[in-house]
Amino acid sequence: MPPKQTKGEYIETDTGNKVSRKSVILGSQNIILGGKTIIQADCTIRGDLRRTVAPGQQSGNVAIAVGRYCFLSRSSVLRPPGKIARGIYSYYPMKIGDHVFVGEGSVVEAALIGSYVHISKDCVIGKFTIIKDCVRIEEGTVIAPNSVIPSFSVVSGRPGVVVAELPETAVEGLERA
Amino acid sequence: MVFPTIHISCPCADSISITPKPAKKKSRSHKAAEEEESEEEERFDPRSARSNFSLFPLESLLYCEDCNQIRCPRCVHDEIVCYFCPSCLFEVPSSAIKSDGNRCTRNCFSCPICFASLVVASTRDDQSGPYVLLCPHCHWSSSEIGIEFEKPTSITTQLAQKLKTVSTPSVTPAPSAPSDSYFPTISITPTISLPPNDAPRAPPTTAEMYQRLKVHYASQRASTGTDEFGSSNALSRLIGLYSSTSLTVGGPKPRSFSGGSGISKPLIGRDRKSEWSEMDHTLEIQNEDTTIAQLRKQGFAGTTSTAQRLNQGVPGPLFTQDVRPLAVLLRTKRSKRCRACRHILVKPESKVTTTRFRIKLVAMNYIPSLSISRLDPGSVSYNSLTPLTTHQFLLTVTNPLFDAINVTLATPQRTPGRFGTTVTILCPDFEVGANSDIWDEALGTGDAATGGKNTRKGKKTGNTGTVWDAGRNWTTVVIEIVPPLLPSEYTTDEAGGKDSPTEDDYLVQVPVSVRVEYETDVEREDGLGKEVKERREHTYWSVLGLGRIGKFGAPTTPLAVGTGGPVDVLGALGPSGVGLGRSSTYNVAKVGSSPPIVAGMVGMGVAGGLGKRNLK
Ligand SMILES: [Zn+2]
Ligand SMILES: [Zn+2]
Ligand SMILES: [Zn+2]
Ligand SMILES: [Zn+2]
Repeated sequence: MPPKQTKGEYIETDTGNKVSRKSVILGSQNIILGGKTIIQADCTIRGDLRRTVAPGQQSGNVAIAVGRYCFLSRSSVLRPPGKIARGIYSYYPMKIGDHVFVGEGSVVEAALIGSYVHISKDCVIGKFTIIKDCVRIEEGTVIAPNSVIPSFSVVSGRPGVVVAELPETAVEGLERA
Repeated sequence: MVFPTIHISCPCADSISITPKPAKKKSRSHKAAEEEESEEEERFDPRSARSNFSLFPLESLLYCEDCNQIRCPRCVHDEIVCYFCPSCLFEVPSSAIKSDGNRCTRNCFSCPICFASLVVASTRDDQSGPYVLLCPHCHWSSSEIGIEFEKPTSITTQLAQKLKTVSTPSVTPAPSAPSDSYFPTISITPTISLPPNDAPRAPPTTAEMYQRLKVHYASQRASTGTDEFGSSNALSRLIGLYSSTSLTVGGPKPRSFSGGSGISKPLIGRDRKSEWSEMDHTLEIQNEDTTIAQLRKQGFAGTTSTAQRLNQGVPGPLFTQDVRPLAVLLRTKRSKRCRACRHILVKPESKVTTTRFRIKLVAMNYIPSLSISRLDPGSVSYNSLTPLTTHQFLLTVTNPLFDAINVTLATPQRTPGRFGTTVTILCPDFEVGANSDIWDEALGTGDAATGGKNTRKGKKTGNTGTVWDAGRNWTTVVIEIVPPLLPSEYTTDEAGGKDSPTEDDYLVQVPVSVRVEYETDVEREDGLGKEVKERREHTYWSVLGLGRIGKFGAPTTPLAVGTGGPVDVLGALGPSGVGLGRSSTYNVAKVGSSPPIVAGMVGMGVAGGLGKRNLK
């Protein structure tokens, strides 16, 4: 972290989100931030990667939906997952719950992340991964695409596998106001 | 290791509560007095071997209201609420658990190489069959072991069929040996001899051996009513035992084994033993020559790792060409009971995907939590506490209760262990405000108003006997430590290895007894007696890991943190290369800074280089 944050580094939205001016937000019209979410410098959020639709067809505009009280650390990347379906490469929306922490330099391509999820730094969350509520991903974990991580899991390793269970107090531990 | 650490000791190892006691209810005061007595006479040693098993972070502790005691994972009983597959998140009825081998039958498989979950993938561009199980992480494919599927659904049944056809005739081309020749002496003694060397056939697989054993025992049971096993009943139980532990579906529950009629206990013990000796023999039956030949062919890369082997069952395949995709093991949701009084402490909602609890009595809602930070953040790393220097830490006690508490902290003057650190808590006796509603406080109602916070508010003076700071439901006091001077590697090399400090001796672990006293309204079911106040108290031992003792007068760089670094340098220089005085010569050499480093400068100079950690 820089020793002193220059004044006005963050843009604050009406709902209390704080977005660093030094972050890269693409396709912001396709991004929903729930409120009180902080996006640090050098983050990349690819709201521009949204579902490709046939001309004239309407589809949901949201590429990335982030809940409340989330924290995206420096240099983290949110990227909607994509795959070839019926011959066309298409992106699918990414949904992130409340109280989700994404550590420095982590790349997230999940389809769904629940609430109270802590992703440590330097992780890769593979395409179309589903992470349920109350999960901690240890530093440097690489979660394989299409994985499902159930609640109260501690995930570690490359590929990330469940190595431990979180205690009943996980919600309290993973909550950050 | 990340400092500081705070662990709380569960006394269950020393108390009777680990064994279920008769459900007679002790009066609180009596129990409290008993606890007090037992706790005062003994001191907690965080370095004793037993402590390893009794120390837990506050988050993983539960609290039994009836026993008025913390409960750790050791002194609770787990009860399974439901089984579910961690991959597809479907609940599995408990009736299917045993027959399915505790695994998911809904197309959930894990990679035999890297353990990531496998996906069903088409082998064609047009997404048509045949299909394979593909690992999205390491790209292992079931086609590598010759398994492809016609349709992308019901993989479990398809795989079961494939494995039957693949493993029996093709992998072992000559399973033709009849079971009679395979067990030539079996009717005399129940041990298995090595196979005859004449046939150059592949060794039988475990499954095959199991089948042969089963056939053999079945025939034996048919031919002789009774034999050395006592009765045919015992035999069928034995087979049942095998069935339930092997991958084979079916077989009676092992529970029926112990509940059998007419079998005396010693006989059961003997049967068990003979099982194990047979197991050992089956492990020995490996044709070494073929194994070696295969090892030559496959190379080291073709062998399985221990983790891979264990994952495949016992004994696992030696070569990666013999691995099988494994159905995902199920997980459970569990409720937890107090071992002493059997009351439920945790009860999750049975729905698989919810994280809510019906009952959740966790210790952090009952006992005050501790947190530690440095008084002078950043100037010294937790990983190199300068010896013979006073280090000040801020110990914050936070009260989760709705009543104000009186806290008494106690700590030995010197920490246990060979190289004790001197510890002083400047204000060991203080009050912590109630965890009242913030709105109550703002409106000036409730207990919070009577707390008289301003009188307790610390002045951050650091004087003995006064608290450092206090807030609504927390109080901070100063704790001072003076780490000892440890014999360095230089002196120990001369004195001999016996006195050399171990890695553990460098850790500063401060046992702190936290005693809580408070008065609370007694809640009664009849709604009467609201005015009655009850005095309660609770004492627990906690262990604060405050850091690691550094070198005296020697700067510690990230390279030289801990004990490993300097030793290597010394070795490189040779024992006679440097003057062996307690100078920081080697460190200068390592750091490369030219002026000799004085002890006082050390902390300041190093701090920038080390990743400093602030707790808050
Ligand atoms: Zn315990
Ligand atoms: Zn499943
Ligand atoms: Zn794999
Ligand atoms: Zn109890």
